[in-house]
Amino acid sequence: MGWSIALSLAPAVIAFVTFFLVPLGVLVVTSLADWGGLGFRYIGFENFSKLFADPVFWKAARNTLLYACVGILIQLPLGVLTGILLAQRRPGWRVFRAIIFLPFVISGAAYAVIFTVFYNAEYGLLNSIVGLFGIEGRDWLYSTSTALPAVAGTFAFIVGFDALLTMAEVGSIPRELYEAAELDGASAWQRHRRITLPLLRNVIGTLVLVSLLASIALFDVAFILTAGGPDNATVTLTLYGYRAYTNGAWGYANAVGIVIVVVGLLLIVGTRRAFRIGERTW
Amino acid sequence: MVIGRALSRLTGTIGYYGVLAIVALLALGPALWVILSSFKTGTQVFSGGDLIPSPWSLKGYRDAFEQVHLHRYLLNTALYAAGGTLGSLAIALLAAYPLARFEFAGRNTMVALFSLALAIPVVGMATPEFFVMRELGLYDSQLGLIVFYSALSFPLAFVILRAFLVNVPSEVEEAALIDGAGYFTIVRRIVIPLSRPALATVAVISFVSIWNEFFFANLFTASVEHQNAQLAMASFKSLFGFNVSGMLAGATLVMLVPMLVFLLLQRQVIAGLTAGSTK
Repeated sequence: MGWSIALSLAPAVIAFVTFFLVPLGVLVVTSLADWGGLGFRYIGFENFSKLFADPVFWKAARNTLLYACVGILIQLPLGVLTGILLAQRRPGWRVFRAIIFLPFVISGAAYAVIFTVFYNAEYGLLNSIVGLFGIEGRDWLYSTSTALPAVAGTFAFIVGFDALLTMAEVGSIPRELYEAAELDGASAWQRHRRITLPLLRNVIGTLVLVSLLASIALFDVAFILTAGGPDNATVTLTLYGYRAYTNGAWGYANAVGIVIVVVGLLLIVGTRRAFRIGERTW
Repeated sequence: MVIGRALSRLTGTIGYYGVLAIVALLALGPALWVILSSFKTGTQVFSGGDLIPSPWSLKGYRDAFEQVHLHRYLLNTALYAAGGTLGSLAIALLAAYPLARFEFAGRNTMVALFSLALAIPVVGMATPEFFVMRELGLYDSQLGLIVFYSALSFPLAFVILRAFLVNVPSEVEEAALIDGAGYFTIVRRIVIPLSRPALATVAVISFVSIWNEFFFANLFTASVEHQNAQLAMASFKSLFGFNVSGMLAGATLVMLVPMLVFLLLQRQVIAGLTAGSTK
């Protein structure tokens, strides 16, 4: 039995060691080195001091934060509202759930193509739409002031995941809580404000975390639509690290990687604490 | 009074469907417009005009296959998604079963580590992953991507499968054990059939996420014949040139598969996402 169990665990252990543990070790060690096509030399924390002195890095960090804000301030509230509505299960809710969730399974790369066309200055739908309101169309992706909102616009309204989690959670809230409030004369708005929202703490915390992690890893849409431009207006942390990697500055790229991994893990711990994710809400 | 209540119920209904309709339009609108436009010719797209193509044209689709050979990219994508899904399911189930059922030294550490793998932002380890792949001779190979995707997807599959197995009573396995059945016989005859709902859920999630994967496909492939369809989307400017209808048809085909998977297997997708995120 013992040997069978060991054999059974072996693939997972090998996968974990090869593709998670070893890369993590390499990441830590080489972030302290000047490592590129020409050789390998320990330089201590020089990569990090260079990194923190680079204004483009800070721009990437700022953009990453802005993308997260779009996720948390637009996508999340809209998704939670949608989920609460869907949870009422009025006629047709299944159709709406399917339609609203469907965009979630479209890849970032396909989205990039969709929005390249959607934002196109000559024949894009967006310019036709804003034209209806008398606003002059423009090249949304090529102006430093509109490029970041344009990239964020590709995911801001993809609320299916948020709605789905909310819906599942709302569905499991005990009916009695609402019945009591209704007897006390609370309006529908008050019931949701005072009962539903606090009880959604776990889900909202999870969604905040998902938004934060998604913006750190945000790559394909920004890479394909703008390659981080114009003038780094849309660059993300992952894209910034990827550039260093393609330039052959591997040690430097790995210092960026350390920042990504550490910030990611801190965000997980921090958000779980802040929202007390995992604790019962009722 | 009665009229007032009926009126407020009416505005409630209008508000309810109004909000859902607006959200649906914002979410799916651009994609829907692209799908419709993929049945236009380039000239029709450029001239703007009606949303509905008239007449409908399949030129974009013909170009996507004949000029860009999109089917090759799509076949690669399907191969990676199917292979990676099977691989991750096998790795995850073989680990989830003993770690859900048996007590042994190091068990909790192992569960913690595999769950931690789910939390690590792997994109941060791009360079090391590249060198691991190269050292193993897996760089720019189809097998390499299947192996990598199996490893990348296994932590989520593991967490969901283990949570499922922990909640399943173990009497049948114990009876089989007493009857002298070996470990792997039990896995094959009892555990796999038992876990079918959880396996289906995990399979759908893995398949769609590997189908859509871009970052590592980009990092680990050099030759065109190993690229997936997402990479074809990324280089659409050079691949399709100014052939807008071909490009739109390509994008439609690339998103079609996960959309169909979702529509056909909604229950599994929804169960999987809800289970995976609360863990």
